[in-house]
Amino acid sequence: MPTIFIDGRPVEADEDQTVMQAARAAGIEIPHFCWHPALSVPGNCRICMVEVEGKGTDIACNMPVKAGMKVFTNSEEVVTHRKAILQLTLLNHPVDCGICDKAGECTLQDYHYRYNGEPSVSIDAKVPATKFHELSDRIVLDNERCILCSRCVRFTREVSGSNGLGIEHRADHSLVRSSEDGAFRNDAYSDNVIDLCPVGALLSRRFLYRSRVWYLESTPSVCPGCERGCSINLWHRREDWKLKSVATRENTRIARVTPLENPAVNGPWICNKGRDLADLFERPRAIEARVDGRTTTLETAVAAARRLIASATRPVALVSSWGSNEELEAFTRHLGSRFTSFVKPDHLPLEGEVVEDGLLIRADKNPNGRRARELFGDPAPAFPPGTGVVLCWGEGFDPALLPAGAKLIVVGSFADDATDRADVLLPVSTQLERDGHYTNFEGVITGFTACLPRPPGVADAEALFGLLAAEGAA
Amino acid sequence: MTGRKVLMNFEVTPSSHTLEAYLARGGYQALAKALRGMKPGEVTQEIVDSGLQGRGGAAFPAGRKWQVIDPHDGQPHYLVANADEGEPGTFKDRWVLEHSPHTLLESMLIASYALGVRHGFIYIRGEFDLPWRRITAAVEEAYAAGWFGENILGTGFACDVFVFRGAGAYVCGEASSLLSSIEGSRGYPRNRPPRLTVKGLFQRPTVVNNVETLSNLAWIIGNGAAAFKEIGTPKSPGTRLISVSGHIARPGVYEVELGYPWAKFLHDECGGVSCNRDLKAVIPGGISSQVLTSRDAKVLTPHDVETMILDHDALWQAGSSLGSGGMIVIADGTCMVSLLRVMLRFYHHESCGQCTPCRDGMGWLHRIIDRILAGQGRPEDIELMYRISKANDGTTICGLGDAAGYATVAMLDRFRDEFDYCIEHKRSKYDGNLECRPSS
Repeated sequence: MPTIFIDGRPVEADEDQTVMQAARAAGIEIPHFCWHPALSVPGNCRICMVEVEGKGTDIACNMPVKAGMKVFTNSEEVVTHRKAILQLTLLNHPVDCGICDKAGECTLQDYHYRYNGEPSVSIDAKVPATKFHELSDRIVLDNERCILCSRCVRFTREVSGSNGLGIEHRADHSLVRSSEDGAFRNDAYSDNVIDLCPVGALLSRRFLYRSRVWYLESTPSVCPGCERGCSINLWHRREDWKLKSVATRENTRIARVTPLENPAVNGPWICNKGRDLADLFERPRAIEARVDGRTTTLETAVAAARRLIASATRPVALVSSWGSNEELEAFTRHLGSRFTSFVKPDHLPLEGEVVEDGLLIRADKNPNGRRARELFGDPAPAFPPGTGVVLCWGEGFDPALLPAGAKLIVVGSFADDATDRADVLLPVSTQLERDGHYTNFEGVITGFTACLPRPPGVADAEALFGLLAAEGAA
Repeated sequence: MTGRKVLMNFEVTPSSHTLEAYLARGGYQALAKALRGMKPGEVTQEIVDSGLQGRGGAAFPAGRKWQVIDPHDGQPHYLVANADEGEPGTFKDRWVLEHSPHTLLESMLIASYALGVRHGFIYIRGEFDLPWRRITAAVEEAYAAGWFGENILGTGFACDVFVFRGAGAYVCGEASSLLSSIEGSRGYPRNRPPRLTVKGLFQRPTVVNNVETLSNLAWIIGNGAAAFKEIGTPKSPGTRLISVSGHIARPGVYEVELGYPWAKFLHDECGGVSCNRDLKAVIPGGISSQVLTSRDAKVLTPHDVETMILDHDALWQAGSSLGSGGMIVIADGTCMVSLLRVMLRFYHHESCGQCTPCRDGMGWLHRIIDRILAGQGRPEDIELMYRISKANDGTTICGLGDAAGYATVAMLDRFRDEFDYCIEHKRSKYDGNLECRPSS
């Protein structure tokens, strides 16, 4: 392990590391636009210039470490270079931060304030370019803001493999464009380029002008879109920026979803389905308890369900593969012995959805199938003759399959055919309203945290199972 | 005559470029000598001993580049002849390709033998038509005669060559972007390290040499390094093909023995400045080399006693270089501001757009010089142009960015008065003239 000196501080580095990697590992920041830990080194932004004693300046991202080298990240020459490069980077940039979604989390903005801070010395017109170029129905590109770092291009070549983006033309009229074959539109990971973009050139059309980023805060969560269980950040309105009168719906919405880097699961990426999680949670909810089609209180419905369970012959449970580890264990603890339990998929692949690929997307579209099957085995649901009660937890059950004469208890969050048909409906909270953990298909356990308030009259499944078993259930 | 000849040592006739004519003047004998009597290492050593410097612009010792390659390391090696002659003012490789293509092919075979190369490439610029037809015809002739392919001359040595046509990008004359272009990707220069001799074409050790550099090999192997060193000066042996253009009576390609007096070359061989004008300035080696005033170069009159000699060291000392050998002669009465605009328009248009300083800097310089010539210059614009040029110095991925900056700085340094005049009077001192007009 060679030791190098960064600004006089000894840093242990690996033989095959670059100065940039060694510095980052030691917590020393060297500014960079084009370099990204998960992508190749293009060395085109030139902002990561550092000085090496006796060797002059060069870019840190492409500089192999050499034992004993003395690197300076803030020498006079480096500071001068950095300012000059930032002037050039901003030369044709419109500086329209006021209407840019990226403002507040923009690398260029941050570096300008940190390392340059001077007004432009140019009086010449900026190079005009396309302001609103549709790369796909998900992403728009503002070519004037683009600093041509090529992160997005490299992402489609090195990670998603769609080769959907490239750079056309030369010099300061270069433009990022999608390939003619439309590969970018079909790239299931395309939205990652929005996060990769160090400026506000690539923008999510979902999130376009929806909110300033400083109105939002993020809560770590787990994507329930498939059994990969990618770590994500759910962005929602901050408490101190809550809207009081207009559009209060925004207060309880998921504004956007971004990946939360997790080397054990998803690395720094998520797929486009994960970006659209808000749609999944904004479906019509089941929030009112019902008994025999009549709305009632939760307590009444729980009592009715408890009676049904206690008196039924051969009760069958269809266990959710979207329940958290805690809920699955609560079910086993309280109701496991009373029911013949089968694991049911809550979600099946939708039409047009990528079913499985070699990167992240898995064929089982439920987040906790592995833990559920560990507890309840893997046979397909079957109803023995004489089944008196079916307890359906979660979605994905077709009530037409209900055996004749059996009563249906539904423990669910979203309205569907099963909740309509239910003899007893017990509304429970969604993943956004409670804490918990999922076990992904490789056995990695990741936690999620509540970020939105639980609607009144809705129970948490974990507590509910205890109530259902409270008396006379055994 | 401009000294001894290495390349232009035959009379150009309508058929002098054919294999038949080449064999008649002793062609492919150097190859036979190398294949039959020398080990690969000995060939490389011969080139090192000859002191041959690269003719593409940087004048890096060719042998030292070769020595990095180990022909026996078990991986493929590639040789690329850089015939993407794009530097404005330069058209000397074109002469080799048109009139002596077999010299290049024989030399490439010798180099391939020395470097353990199985596949060689000739990257020729897309705008070249006759040179391309000549070199492809020569390759076909050579294949038909058994100079390429398997078991050449019965020695077991095998080598193939491919002619690859570029698509007209200046930047593809830069070795690493040339390789990217051959690989089928966009012609973007690559960062060093790794050097191309370590990881070049298809990530394998690759030697990229200029056409003229390579073409010297046949002569060096045929006549020996010692004979080559006798030509030229001790530090810059050999000859240079120099393409002279601009305000000169007899433009064209000349082979000049290094060390030849510059004034004599310009005034006697090339016929002096056209239109009875005095000489104002010379750009010695393509527009990316720094401009020299005729006084600095001491070539104002035909027999300037202290004239500079044409030699790499002499020009470096004068703050310029022989560069790519594209000599542009500029007569009195030429507007240097307009000339710089032409240069900057070129650099702006040809910047590949990969790295920030060149991508944005060249466009900025171009806009500033346009503005100055439009009469809207400000005194501080000169300082700004210096700043932008210096921001390119050593910060770009490839050398072309730096060179554009150097060329701009040299123009500003040496003709500052014209720029100041243009800004102060809102018009060019010489009416923006770039033509050579007879003095009244």
